[in-house]
Amino acid sequence: MSTRSRTGAPSVALGATADPRLKRSRLPRLLLVVVIAALPPLFFDDYWLFLVAQVAAFAVATLGLDILYGRTGQMSLAHASFMGVGAYTGHLLAGLNQGVAVQLLGVLVVSVLAGLVVALPTLRLSGMRLALVTLAFGELLAWVLINTTDLTGGTQGTSVDPVVIGPLDSSVPMQAYLMALVPASIATLIVLHLGRTQMGRRMLIVRDSETAARSVGVAVARTKVISFLVSAVFAGVAGWLYAAVAGFISPPDFNLFASVYLLVAVIVGGAGSAVGAWLGAAYIVLMPQAFSLVGQPNLYPLVGGALLAVVALLVPDGIVGLSRRLAGRFRRAEDRPNHPDRPNHPDRPDRSTSGGDR
Amino acid sequence: MTSTSPPAVDVRGLSVRYGGFHALRDLSVNLPAGRIIGVIGPNGAGKTTLLNAISGFTHVTDGEILLDGRAIQGWDIRRRVRAGLVRGFQTVRLMERESVLTNVLVGAERLDQPNALAQLFALPAQWRGRRIQERAAHEVIELLGLGADRDRRVDELPFASRRLVEVARVLISYPPVILLDEPAAGLDQEGRRELAAVLARVHERHPSTLVVVEHDVDLVKNLCSHVVALESGAVVCAGTPDRVFGDPRVQLAYFGRSADAPA
Amino acid sequence: MGADTSAGGLTQVLWGGLTVGCLYAVLLLGVLIVFQVSKSINFAYGQVGMVAALGGWYLASAAGLPIWSALIIGAAAAVLVNSAIDFVAIRRIPEGRPGLDLVVTLGLFLLLTAVMQQLVDANSHTFASLGSDTSTVVGGVVVSVNDVFVIALTLVLVTVAHLLLTRTSLGTSLRASAEDATIASAAGVNVLRLRTGVWAVAGLLAAVVGYLVASRLSVDAFYMTPILVKVFIAGMIGGLDRFLAPLLVAVLLGVYEAGAAFLLGASAGTPAVFLLIIVALAVMPRRFMNERSEVRA
Repeated sequence: MSTRSRTGAPSVALGATADPRLKRSRLPRLLLVVVIAALPPLFFDDYWLFLVAQVAAFAVATLGLDILYGRTGQMSLAHASFMGVGAYTGHLLAGLNQGVAVQLLGVLVVSVLAGLVVALPTLRLSGMRLALVTLAFGELLAWVLINTTDLTGGTQGTSVDPVVIGPLDSSVPMQAYLMALVPASIATLIVLHLGRTQMGRRMLIVRDSETAARSVGVAVARTKVISFLVSAVFAGVAGWLYAAVAGFISPPDFNLFASVYLLVAVIVGGAGSAVGAWLGAAYIVLMPQAFSLVGQPNLYPLVGGALLAVVALLVPDGIVGLSRRLAGRFRRAEDRPNHPDRPNHPDRPDRSTSGGDR
Repeated sequence: MTSTSPPAVDVRGLSVRYGGFHALRDLSVNLPAGRIIGVIGPNGAGKTTLLNAISGFTHVTDGEILLDGRAIQGWDIRRRVRAGLVRGFQTVRLMERESVLTNVLVGAERLDQPNALAQLFALPAQWRGRRIQERAAHEVIELLGLGADRDRRVDELPFASRRLVEVARVLISYPPVILLDEPAAGLDQEGRRELAAVLARVHERHPSTLVVVEHDVDLVKNLCSHVVALESGAVVCAGTPDRVFGDPRVQLAYFGRSADAPA
Repeated sequence: MGADTSAGGLTQVLWGGLTVGCLYAVLLLGVLIVFQVSKSINFAYGQVGMVAALGGWYLASAAGLPIWSALIIGAAAAVLVNSAIDFVAIRRIPEGRPGLDLVVTLGLFLLLTAVMQQLVDANSHTFASLGSDTSTVVGGVVVSVNDVFVIALTLVLVTVAHLLLTRTSLGTSLRASAEDATIASAAGVNVLRLRTGVWAVAGLLAAVVGYLVASRLSVDAFYMTPILVKVFIAGMIGGLDRFLAPLLVAVLLGVYEAGAAFLLGASAGTPAVFLLIIVALAVMPRRFMNERSEVRA
């Protein structure tokens, strides 16, 4: 048992403890991000720059799935389908000679509607049932795409006109990269900020214990719906962006396998972490290229499947959690002399002591 | 933060039935305002069911629950929380992979929360709310002696601290009515004493109607100024600790059995 | 499934739906018994049948083995793979992480698909006909040997499973360990051996369904996925912790799908099934839906 005294005297440095820590860590982190963002245009050729632009597009999708799966704990096997909704909505609006603003607005509205269609009937579901309903939605979308060949190009796919904003043209790799970076940055900031809001905490507690969530007054259903909508909008924008960058879309881009790969990305990168979502996005775009480079393109799905199973079983927080754990071990080794009285958790409970429910 | 005077909870003719089993039958009890109230009774007496009924986690078959004179038995949990009635659990239910601070802050649902869009896009309303919540969280964390562990993940903490984190999650908004279900379960002797001291301190600073379901007779005697003894879903006796523990029916039904240390 | 619009055409279509529904039921039987002993969902289960069928095709066609020995080796592979899934993955899922079984077996689903594509290829192949090309006309309906075999097999398997579960000590042990594995093992049930056996039998069922589906359509690395999804849908509507209800739903689902395809056009079968599930979930009473038991406070 802890020997620390629990005197009631509040610490003098109540506010002061949190803020300097944040100030200290934020600036170097921001600089690091800017430097990383500046690397591709400086060193990469057009082909790789084009791939990095795709990473940025996919990062919007994985960030969205991270909100839904990583934070709220709701499984979705339709996330690539939500991307498809955005991609085809943008494409259809462009075909009607609508500008970028109308396209974006359309993508947002249709994504919200698609999110609602899936979210509302699934409110009472979790786990496997939820996964199946989202899968059903994905299959329905695939069916619609294949049966509307005159609008969507059907199974053959369709080429997508580049998005042009002022001097920027998404068919030029460098400019596509810059254009993709904007929504990706906004999405990242929203996710980072979400971790500091009550909304973000509501999602976490809905994931970990719906009972506890209800006991503190969290509206569980509303939290799930908001999570679904936000992630659907992220995915829709990501799909639209991906279409603009890639210049070509077809149903296999948005099928069950694509959805599973998004899940692989989030879990391998590290569920519940914005950095993890970016790592995951980089993984799903760059890994197939890496395997092609070494002449083994078929190994990608094989490794992906093995990684998903192994990481989900053995490394619950993905790459990010793994590195954090290593860093934590290092830091604690340094810390230890300062806390000689910290108990080495001899009294961690097993489930039976804390149980005894009625 | 301190409310003027906490309300009383009045339970009248309450029945809870699961299928053919009467967990509570025609139970009437007054939980007086501003007191620390101990609810005791053998296993299966209906203590947890009473807590579930008051907090809205169990469907009430018959009877009334009055909070400050208002009948709340038809309200959903969220509405009861907003009205200031918050509960804890016998089983610690935390976000294991998050920090102590995050776990405590999530209980701030009762404090002013801006709407979803304001939160997502970091509008000024969000910043104001955040300052209020964080101040409240820091205060309650210090009050419960968790300051040194504030930024640690709760799954790294010893059980006694995890228990306190759950109590802190309930306390962050200092609700006027607090229901705790065996908060000392799983704690050793020292842990129990510390917990009782913490609860007494909190109650002194932030008066509330604090209901504690507890097995440990000593803890109840030390902490509570009002005791309700249940058996088989009905009240055996209620009043001051001396009166209740002196009651022959309580001695017979419960007190004799509690001599061996409970889980 | 042709879109013949005559009344005889309808009977033919419903007959086809009935046999497909029976195949769903047999695969669902495997899902149900596995759920009894391990309370988990195996998303890679369809691919276990695929391993048997695609592997069997390869051994028979490319390696030139006699078809029967190829099928036996394929079935043995399915039993091995399914047992391995339980051994290396499902048993290692820690307590208190619901939904992880789905994620892990999704990974195995990808893995098995990729491995078989690597070992064989990604193309579609004609499987041994297993009697689907030998048929006779009964009351205006073309009935193949394969159809008769499927229906007979379903009846036998379901009856045997039902009798095993309700009339034998094996069934009692199974139900006891499904109820509470700790108590069952305290009562002398060898829960681990039971579990291993059930996963092995489920692997065999997947192989049989894999062969029969392949003989009616064709075989590639993906053909079992839509089958498995429909089996899960039937299990979800009927309830994974029950027995006859979900199996009946599986058969009806096959008929419904065929009927929808007949009435609305060949491509309407799949969306009709998915609409059904969304509607079923939206209107089904809550007490049928709870996966976990009621929350205890």
